[in-house]
Amino acid sequence: MKVVPSRSSEWVGPVTSQKRASAIIEIDRVSQVFQTSARKDHLALSNISLTIEEGAFVSILGPSGCGKSTLLYIVGGFVSPTSGAAKIKGQAITGPGPDRGPVFQEFALFPWKTVLGNVMYGPRQQGVRAAEAEAQSRALIEMVGLKGYESFYPKELSGGMKQRVALARTLAYHPEVLLMDEPFGALDAHTRTRLQNDLLNIWERDRKTVLFVTHSVDEAVFLSDKVVMMSKSPGCIREVIDIDLPRPRRRNELLLDPRYQKYIVNIERMFDESDEAGAPS
Amino acid sequence: MISPAAVTKRAAPVLACIGLLAVWQVASLGLKNDSFPTAIEAIRAIPDILGDKESLINILASLRRMAIGFGIAVLVSIPLGLLMGRSRAVAAFFNPLLMVIYPVPKAALMPIIMLWLGVGDITKTLVIFLGVSLPVIYHSFEGAKAVEEKMLWSGAAMGLSPLQRLVRIVLPAALPEILTGCRTGLVLALITMITSEMIARQSGAGNILFNALDMGQYDTVYAMIIIVGAMGICLDAVFERVRARLVRWSEPQFDMPLSFS
Ligand SMILES: Nc1ncnc2c1ncn2[C@@H]1O[C@H](COP(=O)(O)OP(=O)(O)OP(=O)(O)O)[C@@H](O)[C@H]1O
Ligand SMILES: [Mg+2]
Repeated sequence: MKVVPSRSSEWVGPVTSQKRASAIIEIDRVSQVFQTSARKDHLALSNISLTIEEGAFVSILGPSGCGKSTLLYIVGGFVSPTSGAAKIKGQAITGPGPDRGPVFQEFALFPWKTVLGNVMYGPRQQGVRAAEAEAQSRALIEMVGLKGYESFYPKELSGGMKQRVALARTLAYHPEVLLMDEPFGALDAHTRTRLQNDLLNIWERDRKTVLFVTHSVDEAVFLSDKVVMMSKSPGCIREVIDIDLPRPRRRNELLLDPRYQKYIVNIERMFDESDEAGAPS
Repeated sequence: MISPAAVTKRAAPVLACIGLLAVWQVASLGLKNDSFPTAIEAIRAIPDILGDKESLINILASLRRMAIGFGIAVLVSIPLGLLMGRSRAVAAFFNPLLMVIYPVPKAALMPIIMLWLGVGDITKTLVIFLGVSLPVIYHSFEGAKAVEEKMLWSGAAMGLSPLQRLVRIVLPAALPEILTGCRTGLVLALITMITSEMIARQSGAGNILFNALDMGQYDTVYAMIIIVGAMGICLDAVFERVRARLVRWSEPQFDMPLSFS
């Protein structure tokens, strides 16, 4: 068995077959306290430490409300942590920047822009000429399977289609790190599988660092080099698991692969154990 | 092909006007009161007013004041409202001020403004400005407050500065709400325009109306009311067309079976 559970605070380098890469994101003892309306402090994240190597695909897996989105916002620079620090390439994160591209759970598309306008927004802001930005954006829209919908407004799209536009919009400005918050959560199984494959293809091609939040165990195992398991109340890292499966990964091959199955069974068992332990609420 | 529904929609306002005039005509014939001319008499007086150079100059002067007052109010109020909606400090600073001004009828301020600025264009334009500002500020404020945070975050990640986010994300996102405020503002501009000319009688459409009243020319009074009313309806209709075009992206796709629009 290749599952190597290790405590987050001790975790340092990669154990995968990949070559050793340098850390791009370092999260150092980050805690986040929210003031709730009941005037009580709510500890959403407790003492999180995590290092992410350049070019790695890392998934964050955990129950609803365990602070996955919050952790992503801190790396994105949208929220500054109550204590601790996050760094990108050794620099303290003080705010958002085009090196980190978020894909939000809520899509957050610009409703006054068409699909094409949304996808072109980032490149145009970055100073790419209109014709070039349009050509790139059209290619991306085709890639996420929305060819023919370029001039539709967001209100005219289904939830899954909006999700795909959000993904294309972020990919369009070439962030070094993708911060994806349950990007495939609202999709049907078929589209989900297709987009997982597309995402992996893009990732194989330009090896962007991806921080990927998900609820789904098999999605996490299928996509990732490393799965970060979080638990709730307060949100903390339970386990960091290296997924040592060959790439490029093919879904139909993996489904038959006993190693893949073992990862899934083990991770699910770990979640069950924590449920039985009775998470304080 | 024009659908029956479209015909009804087009014809409805016309039918309503005709109905109103008919009721007026019958009521006036029935009451036989000197100060209540029939609809036909009032309509007959309209060409006289519009053909008279003096009256025309007056009406155009009114419209000009209204346009200037409305224009400046919109230009000042939208940025102010948006800033208030996005910055707690700005809101905390202006809110008390606006709360004091809000319930005061703007026309009631006229005597004071007249003392300072006279009875000319500036005073009247200022009153129109005050009348238009508040609804536009209020709606811009509410619109800006409601802008989804993740949308601003997305913009920040793309490298938009705070000012760029205000202009290029908050403004368009709040536009439907802002334009609702402007539409209210436009009607208020017309109202304050007439009221201001009623108080500072010197020129304008309101002046013609009240002079006619003083001289007992009741058909002119009613004709002026029709003219001013028609102006309001036309302005509102034109504005509504522009508005609908600008915010096509936000209009609901389905007719709500229980709405009365
Ligand atoms: N702005 C906020 N104010 C107060 N509490 C907050 C705020 N944002 C998040 N929280 C709390 O922090 C905790 C973590 O929230 P978060 O959205 O990060 O969870 P999550 O893991 O992304 O959940 P999900 O899988 O349902 O998206 C929750 O208990 C939530 O109530
Ligand atoms: Mg979340």
